[in-house]
Amino acid sequence: MIELEGLTKKFGSFYAVRDLSLKVSPGEILGFLGPNGAGKTTTIRMMAGLMKPTSGRILLDGKDVFGRPDEAKAILGYIPDRPYLYEKLTGGEFLEFIAGLHQLGKEDGWEKRSQGLLEYFDLLPWRRELIESYSHGMRQRLIIIAALLHRPKVLIVDEPVVGLDPQGVRLVKSLFRDLVDDGMTIFLSTHILGIAEELCPRIGIIHEGQLLALGSMSDLREQAQSRDERLEPIFLKLTQEEEPRTESFGVP
Amino acid sequence: MEGWPALLFPKIRSFSHHLGEQSIRARLKLTFLVVLALGFWLFTFLVFQKVLVYFHSVELFGDLLNYRLLSMMLLTFFSILLFSNLISSLSTFFLSEDLNLILSRPVPLDDIYYARLTETLVYSSWMVLLFALPVFLAYGWVYGAPWKYYAVFVGGLGPFLLIPSALGVLLAMFLVNIFPARRTKDILFLLTIFLLIGIYFLFRFLQPERLVNPDSFASLVEYMTALNAPSWPFSPSFWFAESMIPFLQPAPVQAWFYLACLWSTAGALVVMGSWVSRALFISGWTKSQEARRVYLVRLPLFNRLLQGLSRFLRPFPRALVLKDWKTFFRDTSQWSQLILLMALVVVYLYNFSVLPLDRTPMPSFFLQNLVSFLNLGLAGFVLSAVAGRFIFPAVSQEGFSFWIIRSSPVPLRTFLWSKFWTGLVPLLLLAEALIFLSNWLLKATPFLMILSAVTIFFMTFGIVGLAVGLGAIYPRFRLENAARMAWGFGGAIFMILSMIFIGVLVALEAWPVYILFMAGFQQSSLSVFQWIGVCGAFSGIAGLIGTATLLPMKVGLRNLQEMDF
Repeated sequence: MIELEGLTKKFGSFYAVRDLSLKVSPGEILGFLGPNGAGKTTTIRMMAGLMKPTSGRILLDGKDVFGRPDEAKAILGYIPDRPYLYEKLTGGEFLEFIAGLHQLGKEDGWEKRSQGLLEYFDLLPWRRELIESYSHGMRQRLIIIAALLHRPKVLIVDEPVVGLDPQGVRLVKSLFRDLVDDGMTIFLSTHILGIAEELCPRIGIIHEGQLLALGSMSDLREQAQSRDERLEPIFLKLTQEEEPRTESFGVP
Repeated sequence: MEGWPALLFPKIRSFSHHLGEQSIRARLKLTFLVVLALGFWLFTFLVFQKVLVYFHSVELFGDLLNYRLLSMMLLTFFSILLFSNLISSLSTFFLSEDLNLILSRPVPLDDIYYARLTETLVYSSWMVLLFALPVFLAYGWVYGAPWKYYAVFVGGLGPFLLIPSALGVLLAMFLVNIFPARRTKDILFLLTIFLLIGIYFLFRFLQPERLVNPDSFASLVEYMTALNAPSWPFSPSFWFAESMIPFLQPAPVQAWFYLACLWSTAGALVVMGSWVSRALFISGWTKSQEARRVYLVRLPLFNRLLQGLSRFLRPFPRALVLKDWKTFFRDTSQWSQLILLMALVVVYLYNFSVLPLDRTPMPSFFLQNLVSFLNLGLAGFVLSAVAGRFIFPAVSQEGFSFWIIRSSPVPLRTFLWSKFWTGLVPLLLLAEALIFLSNWLLKATPFLMILSAVTIFFMTFGIVGLAVGLGAIYPRFRLENAARMAWGFGGAIFMILSMIFIGVLVALEAWPVYILFMAGFQQSSLSVFQWIGVCGAFSGIAGLIGTATLLPMKVGLRNLQEMDF
């Protein structure tokens, strides 16, 4: 469902992403991990059509994101890490706008679906308020609703739980599981290793723009030559980062 | 840096980084702005010099008029400064994002007060300073003032700017403790615009052009003398005027008393402000945080009207147009710009109603039609200014939310053309209204009436094409205030290209219109060569309009498609 072929992005002489290739099957959720500045967000922004790759291709359900952008984006849902929205629209109007962008009519049942999603995320009482009065978590929830409104085949998610309260995190995790069960393909980038460990049967690790490892937990364990059951030490070993220092910063 | 100046460090460094940008584009921009500012200074200086010399030459009351003018200007500056400081202080003291960082640190309240007061002072005063400096220099120049005049000007300017700042902050402290900060800011912003429009109308309706006619002098002097307000002896503008005027007179009298009034009042207000700030700042800031939830004033009728008007559009453009209209009308800063625009239009039309066409040696029929034709250029200029403010920033107004459009299946071409049509329809209405009303006031012939209406119709396409296209070539998605877009580099390029477009269009049309007009007037027919020339000129006009409309749109679209967001 998702194919990245030799994806490269250069800023001047700096490689943000270098020759990245991977595939995600339909109905799969892939975790995409990496340290800060590894190239996760650049990859995701290219997948969402916000940045043009220097070379390589991105195919969503066989449609090239830059060759046939309208068709590729019609099946894509994108949840960015920062919830920038139109402040002067109400939550309900924003969803109506998104429905318009996807050419959804009343007959497509988007209103009923938006009602259901707003209810699921506890935003129904807020749908007539301007977005400028929403908290960070509420904006994040609204973006998730907007990304799912047109029933996309592919969902690309950048840090899905930033700004969400524990209840919100639980809702998102449960929702992602349900969506994958329904056949949606999810590409999930996160810093929170626990979420990746819990939700993703396969994980890709990117470091300095290059894919270091891709596979199940046991594949990663094997590649890192580690016996540890937890993802954190495996991740740190693969990215060759030292274990965080645990000594106190107190009196020298 | 220590104490309160340390709080200004981030602003100073950000500004110096901004100035120190090494890219060619940044340097070009800086040079352009410096040249623009110098040009403006020189222009203001020369205009005031001419006016002051003219008044100065009038016996008996010429100097009195000049002193009155100075007092009135200082009172105007003071009023504008007071309002702009009040609005700025609401932002700097209560709405600024970095206050969260500062207030969570052990920073004394007095330090915050002095740092924010300085910021308010700088934000609010630089524009007035830019305008005032050449005016005061012109006074000194015309009256051959001694060095003491300039010394008093420099010495008095500080407290003259500081008094409205400290007063503005004091008022803001009280207001925020009574009303929510955001609502107060919106209301005051609108009030300021009304104040500016009031001053503008006052000066315009005084009809300064009457000064060329000596018969109207008596009434003007009466008017100037009747204005007692600038002479109120407890006003800082009076003190500042009285500090300087003695040095413009042949026998200078002591001015130091008024200078002392300025300094002592400024000092007292600053200290009082710090006391009030200690007592009211934290409670006001807390209230401004609570007031963040602004509930929508629901206007279902308005929303239904928008829905109805956009019903005939296809889904993609309909979604974009509805979003643009709603966000536009809910933004109070746009309202104030609209009010300014209306004032501009009223004054524009008023100018035509007072044109002394009957008092010129040329035949008034010919002159009326000549002015009517040249009016195309003037109306084009007004339309360019409006497009520069409202249509040029349309792409940038998407701001950080542009990711929504870019990641949606809406083709960027549809997005850009929806901006074009959204801007074109209201601008066309404005253009035709301007042309029709001004031609009606000028009593232009039906031929010129129709010609102007058709020309301005197509000219508007070119202006909107340039505005939307250049807005896409020079987008600034990070800019918080779209109004600033018009004053940026891209905005200046748009204005220059738009002026060239209008100038060339009017020039291309002038000859065939003259030929056709005269043929109609003399009831003669055109020769074959004249017809060829007329057709050639009109083909050139069609080509020019087509290029101005389509080329910037094409380049802008390519820029958006290639841009990383």
